[in-house]
Amino acid sequence: MSDTATENGAWRLLCTVNGQPVDLQVPAHETLLYSLRERLGLTGTKGSCLEGECGSCTVIVDGEAANSCLLLSPQVQGCSVETIEGLAEGKKLHILQDKFLASGAAQCGYCTPGLIVAAKVLLERNPKPTDDEFFEGMEGNICRCTGYKSICEAVRAAAVEWKRN
Amino acid sequence: MSDSISTFSLLHSQFASIEVDAPSKALIDPSRTPYGESTRGPVGSNARRIDGVEKVTGTALYGADLFFDRADLFAQVVRSEIAHGRLVGINSEKSLKVPGVVAIYTAKDAPGTNRQGLIHRDHPVLVEDRILYRGDAVAIVVAETEQAAQQGRDAVEVDYEKLPVIATMDDALAPNAPKLHLDGNIMGGKRIRKGDADAALDASDLIVSETFVTQTVDHAFLDIEAGIALWDGHHLTIHVSGQWAHEERRLIALALGLPIESVRVICPATGGAFGGREDLSIQVYLGMVALRHSNKTIAMRYSREESMRARHKRHSLRIHYTVGAMEDGTITAAKITVYSEEGAYASTGPAVLRKAASHATGPYRVPNVHVDVYGVYTNNNPTGAMRGFGACQMAIAYEGMMDRLARQLSMDRRELREKNLICSGEAVTTGQIIPLATGVECLDAAWQQFERGAGKEKPLAAHQRRGVGMSVICFGLGYGDGFPDASRATVKFAPSGRLEVYTGGVEYGQGLITIMAQIAAEELGLTTNEVDVIWADTHRTSESGSSSATRQTYFTGNAVKIAASELREQVLDAAGRLIQVHQHEVDLVGGFVVGRFDPQIKRPLREIVAAAAERGFDLTGQGIFKPRTVCEDFDTGQSPRSFITYLFGAHIAQVVVDIETGEVRVERFIACHDVGKAINPQSVEGQIVGGATQGIGMALMEEVVMKEGRMLNANFTDYILPTFRDVPEIETVTLENDDPGGPFGARGIGEPPLIAATPAVLNAIGNAIGVMPHTTPCTPQRVWELMNPELALVSSGVRMLGLPDHARMAR
Repeated sequence: MSDTATENGAWRLLCTVNGQPVDLQVPAHETLLYSLRERLGLTGTKGSCLEGECGSCTVIVDGEAANSCLLLSPQVQGCSVETIEGLAEGKKLHILQDKFLASGAAQCGYCTPGLIVAAKVLLERNPKPTDDEFFEGMEGNICRCTGYKSICEAVRAAAVEWKRN
Repeated sequence: MSDSISTFSLLHSQFASIEVDAPSKALIDPSRTPYGESTRGPVGSNARRIDGVEKVTGTALYGADLFFDRADLFAQVVRSEIAHGRLVGINSEKSLKVPGVVAIYTAKDAPGTNRQGLIHRDHPVLVEDRILYRGDAVAIVVAETEQAAQQGRDAVEVDYEKLPVIATMDDALAPNAPKLHLDGNIMGGKRIRKGDADAALDASDLIVSETFVTQTVDHAFLDIEAGIALWDGHHLTIHVSGQWAHEERRLIALALGLPIESVRVICPATGGAFGGREDLSIQVYLGMVALRHSNKTIAMRYSREESMRARHKRHSLRIHYTVGAMEDGTITAAKITVYSEEGAYASTGPAVLRKAASHATGPYRVPNVHVDVYGVYTNNNPTGAMRGFGACQMAIAYEGMMDRLARQLSMDRRELREKNLICSGEAVTTGQIIPLATGVECLDAAWQQFERGAGKEKPLAAHQRRGVGMSVICFGLGYGDGFPDASRATVKFAPSGRLEVYTGGVEYGQGLITIMAQIAAEELGLTTNEVDVIWADTHRTSESGSSSATRQTYFTGNAVKIAASELREQVLDAAGRLIQVHQHEVDLVGGFVVGRFDPQIKRPLREIVAAAAERGFDLTGQGIFKPRTVCEDFDTGQSPRSFITYLFGAHIAQVVVDIETGEVRVERFIACHDVGKAINPQSVEGQIVGGATQGIGMALMEEVVMKEGRMLNANFTDYILPTFRDVPEIETVTLENDDPGGPFGARGIGEPPLIAATPAVLNAIGNAIGVMPHTTPCTPQRVWELMNPELALVSSGVRMLGLPDHARMAR
């Protein structure tokens, strides 16, 4: 590990973000959320509670949903990180993004990136979640303004078409 | 102006045609109201949000998203570590030595009045002398990086002289309590006097009394206060989310001593507000720093802890409610005394007091009413605007009383409500006649939905009890009470041929801009894909009032409709000249100018607009909607038209209570609202579901816990918000009884769903356990203590100091 720590205590972060290789100097105590937003300009990932309660900052690290406000950037060394910016292909929305739009599941939109990313992890593992599995996958994300009904609808609608992806 | 006058007189002529002296259910048949306007375009459809793609792809830019690559300097605020005292001195020596720290500013550096506050300018931007709560700002630290600004903030040394903390309203009202403001600890009051409540109570068969205590609530919007500012020597431009850009501009200019027109406020994408952005947050701090560092972009944001520690909250109310009734269930009188905790500063408290008084008996027919509401200052966070705004606390009380009355009278709860709900043509507490009162219809529709799904419940375990509760509410839309209330809009064709709608209203998630696009598109025969909405930029848009009081669809919707229909006239006029037909012979349909009678006429609208522009026509429509309301009388609280219109709704909650732990699970929830006309039904449902979810949170879990002026749960770990598992799939029912004055008959929907939800859940708990709750939220501990009063470890929060005489009248 020492080869990635530089002399001034900074960390040389090597990972991929949305498939692109990243090579960054960051302080060893910097959160992944901060690195993504303030160094890479990927501001789609949001900070809200900043202590792992609300899920607004959810990203995918090697296929697992993770709170980027709790991870330090050195913890994703060598990992593959996916953020909301990595979902759409050009102008073509990801199925979850399309269903969130169609169901009216994004109102203020602040929780939306985290919810969509969490739902992607859930459906990739289990495209037919039971209610309990659904809640287990999604309950780490808080929505304050939409209520949860349209979000459930959007994820279920995406699940129906999931295999076709 | 002429448009607003004609709308106003039109309204009056419609009201005047209604007979008001013979209340009867048959007075107006809501299913046959004559006000409906047929729609053929996007109004009434589930048009997709016009800001939706940005939001689902993460490209929408909220306040904190503006930092990247833009900020030159970062600011942080030093906040008081004491809740009450005097500022003795500030030592910034150590702080200035922190590498990267550039400057530290205190009240001495404030260029203007150094005061903010929406109603009274009583809140110092930076403390000069007196500290009144732990969120008061003492100094601002400016640094080259955010981290340096934080370190600099922590290194500032502040000397205080502590004074006794007024932690509760009881402390504030105690004899010899220190005065928090010059005129004492009572901020103000509001009263209603209607009929003779004392005599009517004396003559009643039954009198029921209860004291309710509602909690302090945090808005907990997810998008923490953040933004940037730049002073270029001429203009101070501030990008910060608010709820009323033009008023924020006035307040910022005043606090900073600038001419109003040199301040520009631009609202970025905004992640929720719920009233929490009505008071200024970081705007003046940013502006003050920007003025000192011209041509540098200043950035600042709160942490979640600072956001919760600094911001105002929902008022905690103590409501002493006494109501009289006859044996047949007819309510005779209500006598109500309310103490409202205002915290350190007035904020919007005076308006919340008024709303609490005018909504004290809700949608019920109470001929004799006596209400006194008092605002009491403490050293807690200021309390101000939050969704429901005084009306939601009163709904907890009047709906709680309905269930208590029904129990005492051994009457069916629904029957008692239906007997006492006002009908069309009857008056609410303030004496205002409601032409179309649909409380009964809402309750019926909600009940029908409830019965359709009944009987599918899982069997209960031995330790579980099931209960059903209901609520009916009404809500006066807009500022009301004679307060000037206006929206303006401009609708025009851009050079590109796209339709542009300009409104000062703030989109914070409620769907305002999509609804305005729908209204404009409807008038001009377009789809929402062909419309852009430019909103909440004080240099580009005209004033549309605040996004609050459930008013934007009604007010700005009307302004946009007036502007768009004027533009439509202009386009038809131009088209008539260009096509050589009379303008009444052509129509705008699907992006074309078409002949009404001659199918041969079909020209693309874009072509007509371009041709008209070439000939020098300025195709621009403007609209202003400014209906008047009448001040409530100072002595009696009576007014013939305190609010422009009233909204009705009814909720039904079914809960399961664990009698061993006191835990409550909401099993089913039905929310019915009369929305007049759903301009976007999906958006309406989103507002109902979101509001009901917040109302369930208020009923069961959300509570700001203060101790000696310190917020103990200023984070999302300890401030509990509803999650996926806490709310059932909310069943929504919408009634569409056209409002005579609303755009296409629309009313509004922002606040009523929260107001109705909390009492429905409380009444369901009461129904399940046989003891009626009186203190919110109904946490497991409070519910358990209701069932086991002899074993209660903590009192439920009802303190008896200041108990009014009527609270002892129960018999």
